Amino acid sequence: MFKLRDLSIEFLGITLENPFILSASPSTDELEIAINGLEAGWAGVILKTTSVEDNPVPLKYPMMSSFGNYSKRVLGLGNIDLISKYHIDEVEKRVKILKEKFPHKMIGASIMGSKKEDWQNLVYRLRKAGVDIIECSFSCPQGSMGEAPGRMLAQSVQATEKVTSWVKEAAENTPVLIKITPQVTDIVEVAEAVKRGGADGITASNTIPSLLGIDIYTFEPYPTVFGYSSYSGLSGNAIKPITLRTIAEIKRNVDITISGNGGAYSSRDAIEFMLVGASNVQFCTLPMVYGFRVIEELKRGLSHYLDEMGFKSPSEIVGKTLEKIKTNEELIILDFVKAKIDEEKCVGCELCFVSCRDGGHMAIELKEETRVPKVNEEKCVGCALCMQVCPVDAIKIYERKINIEHYYIRK
Amino acid sequence: MNEKDFEKIALEWAIIEAERCLYCFDAPCEKACPINLPISNFIYFIKNKNFKSAYELVRENHPLISIAGCVCPEEILCQTECTRGKIDKPIKIRELHKFLTEYFCDNKNLSLPEYKYEEVAIIGGGPASLSCAFYLRTFGYKTVVFSDTELGGIPLKEISNLRLSDETLKRDLDFIKENFIFKFVRKRVENLNEILNSFKAIFIGIGLSDEIELEVLGKDKEGVFKAREILRKIKRGEEIKFGERIGVIGGGNVAFEVANTLKTLYPDKEVIIIYRRGLTDLKCYPEEFERAKKLGVNFYFESIPIEIVGKEKVEGIKVTQVSLKEKDKDGRRVPKLIENSEFIIPLNNIIIAIGQKLEETIFPEIQKENGLIKVDENFMTNIKGVFAGGDCVNGGDTITRAAKEGKLAAFKIHEYLRRI
Repeated sequence: MFKLRDLSIEFLGITLENPFILSASPSTDELEIAINGLEAGWAGVILKTTSVEDNPVPLKYPMMSSFGNYSKRVLGLGNIDLISKYHIDEVEKRVKILKEKFPHKMIGASIMGSKKEDWQNLVYRLRKAGVDIIECSFSCPQGSMGEAPGRMLAQSVQATEKVTSWVKEAAENTPVLIKITPQVTDIVEVAEAVKRGGADGITASNTIPSLLGIDIYTFEPYPTVFGYSSYSGLSGNAIKPITLRTIAEIKRNVDITISGNGGAYSSRDAIEFMLVGASNVQFCTLPMVYGFRVIEELKRGLSHYLDEMGFKSPSEIVGKTLEKIKTNEELIILDFVKAKIDEEKCVGCELCFVSCRDGGHMAIELKEETRVPKVNEEKCVGCALCMQVCPVDAIKIYERKINIEHYYIRK
Repeated sequence: MNEKDFEKIALEWAIIEAERCLYCFDAPCEKACPINLPISNFIYFIKNKNFKSAYELVRENHPLISIAGCVCPEEILCQTECTRGKIDKPIKIRELHKFLTEYFCDNKNLSLPEYKYEEVAIIGGGPASLSCAFYLRTFGYKTVVFSDTELGGIPLKEISNLRLSDETLKRDLDFIKENFIFKFVRKRVENLNEILNSFKAIFIGIGLSDEIELEVLGKDKEGVFKAREILRKIKRGEEIKFGERIGVIGGGNVAFEVANTLKTLYPDKEVIIIYRRGLTDLKCYPEEFERAKKLGVNFYFESIPIEIVGKEKVEGIKVTQVSLKEKDKDGRRVPKLIENSEFIIPLNNIIIAIGQKLEETIFPEIQKENGLIKVDENFMTNIKGVFAGGDCVNGGDTITRAAKEGKLAAFKIHEYLRRI
């Protein structure tokens, strides 16, 4: 009923109807589910990571666990999943079916190999099947597909460059994305290796090795596979800040196209990914938890944002924030940064007082006559801890001399 | 749905509700609680699924916490001050501690000091007395409780099972009886001199046992009852034969308790509250008034009874209408009779609920004021070493206030005994 603005965006020569695609995940591991996703309005899919036929995939169940607050919201999802149980022969068929059924959607596939021949064989076969894009998983935290057991391929700069070059050699004009891990010492080195290897873009990034939790009564770690467990790959909103940093750091230092992946849970999150340099955003945990219907929120949210901000196309927001990211040394030092409490908004919980007293600079004082605390400007350094704990956004930080107000969340 | 399912739902609900709590510093809800329950802390414990500790915290700070979980009028106490209420809705504090006492009542960890001090006498077995015994025991006193009836006071004898189940009641009473009372003497203490020489300190928490009578013509007719007498009979499960129309005279909590209980037990009968002042002057808790409205209780406001009519049995009550204009020194509007406005409300039964009073002849040696026991700021009466608290001092208030006064008196008794 209400008109949605044009959300299309170019990505490595492919026109996406909107910047939201389903990442290589359980949501793209069954043909029927992938079809449902595309029909629901997602701009493309990357089929779950496949391998050559003789590669065994010993999946263990149950494989999912989650954490959140105690009211059971899934803030982080952990899995001990591996790559798809479907090998390249099946994926080839699916690519053909999907491409025929959805000629205007992006049909991608993710691959993982061990030997050069395997990587290249996978690429040849996908190309032949008509795939739009090939993503290479260099970062699955489970299994031991890297150059050493337990290591992920993208944790080695040399291996990353070498394998990327094998893949690109075989892919020729088909765009190649390398999916990396944030679990490295220097993400820029890895991204540079991907570029030297000739890939067209980077998927930044993947799940993060983690231990989801432990049942304190049985001592069993989660997800418990009948009493035992292994480290999980952590996804979901919990990892969003890590992904944001990964994308930003790559984009600031390496001239390469980025597909953002890992932790976006809403249209606002997706916009943030794009602002730090992602040309599109991949989703896995969000539809896994809430279903494909979430695409509506993503599309409408982005559409209204572009309208509000006066942008013509989603491509205009890509990387908008980058110039505002500095090193700590480059940030300016202001002497008169202070907290200011809006007495009208304050509800009198006094959380700012207790956090400043026990974790700040003892600069907030209680007043006898009212529950609205008072900032002692002599002691306040403007650290903004109070601002974080205020449940009603009644505290702002401002620079007293030049009277500039700092805001945390645009309301 | 079985009990386990209920537990699971309650658990989920409690955590979600607890997560709404802001965990205010110097929380206003705690200040509004008559017994200063550490509300923000126990809710924070619930949020972190630390239920047993949360239970222990409320148990340490309120001897009658299970009972309070059912009947404490939180809408006029803690919840009115809840900061969350300024954002959306106040936290359901009473329900949260009720949840704890229902699902995590575990006293295995109880640790009390050795008896190290003398015996202290407690007269009465209601909330104030039990609370006093509870805290005296935690200091190491041996408490000897004198009561002519079973321990439990109004919650045991008069609050209907519809609001307070036997199971809940037992949870609190058994806990106190088993752990905090050294000796229970089932005896009515007529005269303080009987025990004055045996104890260095005495606490009186006898409540208000008498009911104020309605001084009108025909008050002795068949079918006229006193409110608390009716509540006690209902609590004991006695059958009372009521006619089709029952009038309740009064506008306080007892009047509403009896009206609501009767309307719940006999939904087909008409229950009418007759009150001399208006809606805004009601002395009952707002929750009780709302409950009455929902149950279908009817009201005659601004009506003063002048005669109970009927031959031998009650047939109705003659009332005269009043106007409410001037206010008295307490700020309450004074009813003024309107001439020639009498009319008869046909009724089969009349229940009088116009107030309670201290037994007139009790403890003549103790100084009284306005019909209540007079105490100083230390809860001490005119007799040295004799303390008092609860309804017999405050004129009738919440169970939590009675428990608080019992608690404060225990602290003062300890101070007094250790100083002499």
